[in-house]
Amino acid sequence: MSKKPSLGRQKIKIAKIQIKNHLQVTFSKRRSGLFKKASELCTLCGVEIAIVVFSPAGKVFSFGHPEVESVTDRFLARKSNVNSSNLHLVESHQIASVPELNLQLMYMVNELEAEKKRSEALDQMRKDGQSQFWWEAPIEDLSLHELQQLKDSMEELKKSVDIHVNNIIGGSDRAPIILSSTGDSCVDNYIWLCP
Amino acid sequence: MTRKKVKLAFIMNDSARKATFKKRKKGLMKKVNELSTLCGIDACAIIYSPYEAQPEVWPNNIGVQRVLAQFKRMPEMEQSKKMVNQESFIRQRITKANEQLKKQIKENRDKELTEVMYQCLTGKGSIANLMLPDLNDLGGLVDQTIKDICRRIESLKKGVTGPSGSQPGRSQVNNGSNSGVMNAMDKRHVVDQNVGGVNGMQRTQWFTDWMNNPSDQQNMGMGMGMGMGHGYEMVPFGDNPNMIWPNQFFP
Repeated sequence: MSKKPSLGRQKIKIAKIQIKNHLQVTFSKRRSGLFKKASELCTLCGVEIAIVVFSPAGKVFSFGHPEVESVTDRFLARKSNVNSSNLHLVESHQIASVPELNLQLMYMVNELEAEKKRSEALDQMRKDGQSQFWWEAPIEDLSLHELQQLKDSMEELKKSVDIHVNNIIGGSDRAPIILSSTGDSCVDNYIWLCP
Repeated sequence: MTRKKVKLAFIMNDSARKATFKKRKKGLMKKVNELSTLCGIDACAIIYSPYEAQPEVWPNNIGVQRVLAQFKRMPEMEQSKKMVNQESFIRQRITKANEQLKKQIKENRDKELTEVMYQCLTGKGSIANLMLPDLNDLGGLVDQTIKDICRRIESLKKGVTGPSGSQPGRSQVNNGSNSGVMNAMDKRHVVDQNVGGVNGMQRTQWFTDWMNNPSDQQNMGMGMGMGMGHGYEMVPFGDNPNMIWPNQFFP
């Protein structure tokens, strides 16, 4: 079983946090979560919001929809109606991109989930391998004789790998260019995979 | 908690929207309050809705005015440095998610390479099916492993104690030469091409699926939409090489 990444959800007392480090971490996380909730409220219900928050260090963070300024000005003015045409201009630009951005974010979050699952699966494979085959155990656990055997095998493997590399390159020095000459989009994936 | 996941889009149904607004607004105010108390900081929230002429605020009108005044007293640059709207906020989150994703992908690839190495070591996997970049990385990993082994051998020879030692019950070990299972791999390196019709242009992720049952693919290759025979339609790739986002998603 992989160990838990964090403590999970725990009930805490709502009073000022005593440990400075915890306080800073909490601020960072909760501020982010607060803005996320505000953003969702705007999308779901089409309302205007402004949130202003001072950090423990004295920096100021603000979230506003459509803009922090327009909402705070509206609040501070409170006498006349806000010039709505300006608002609509800003808003329509944003509204156009926000749904797409939300989709993009959702896609990315799903991808991340998938990769995390894959990571767990790979960890399990490693674990299984280690328990099944002696040569897959951590190096520290092997005896001198085993180490020497493993070393020989690894060196054989390296030789084979080198042979195959040479086969592919075919003796020319085109190797780096091979990847880009096809113009295939598949190729780009390799560039992406092998930075 | 909610029973089902809410789609992140404007709620068309008026009464549903109003109900959601009431609930979420309440929750939002609660969160601002908690943040302020837990961290001992000043904050304010202003919400304009079509349901009320007056905005809903936290902590109260005076409190909001005070915080806004404090806000406006700050230099322009400080005010705008961490100022976001929906668009910029979501973009920030996308950037962060992208970084995490890249990191995780790299980590997974390294792990996968280790599996490939062990598979090739015993001939269960074929080197012939690997592409150049993976071959290079595999070579690097094998080199590194050899280095680590040598280092360990040296320290053992010097008599440094460590958890080593022959364990009883390991059958393949001793007859003084490369015997046992390891031998087999020397013969099996050059194996048939095109196992299962794999086309050379696929990511090495295919490898693990190839090694397992095809049915296991469902569990492994989820988000990336890969597998034998799948093209790269699902693999994210846009104009920005640093961004993992499919261009073809929004034609």
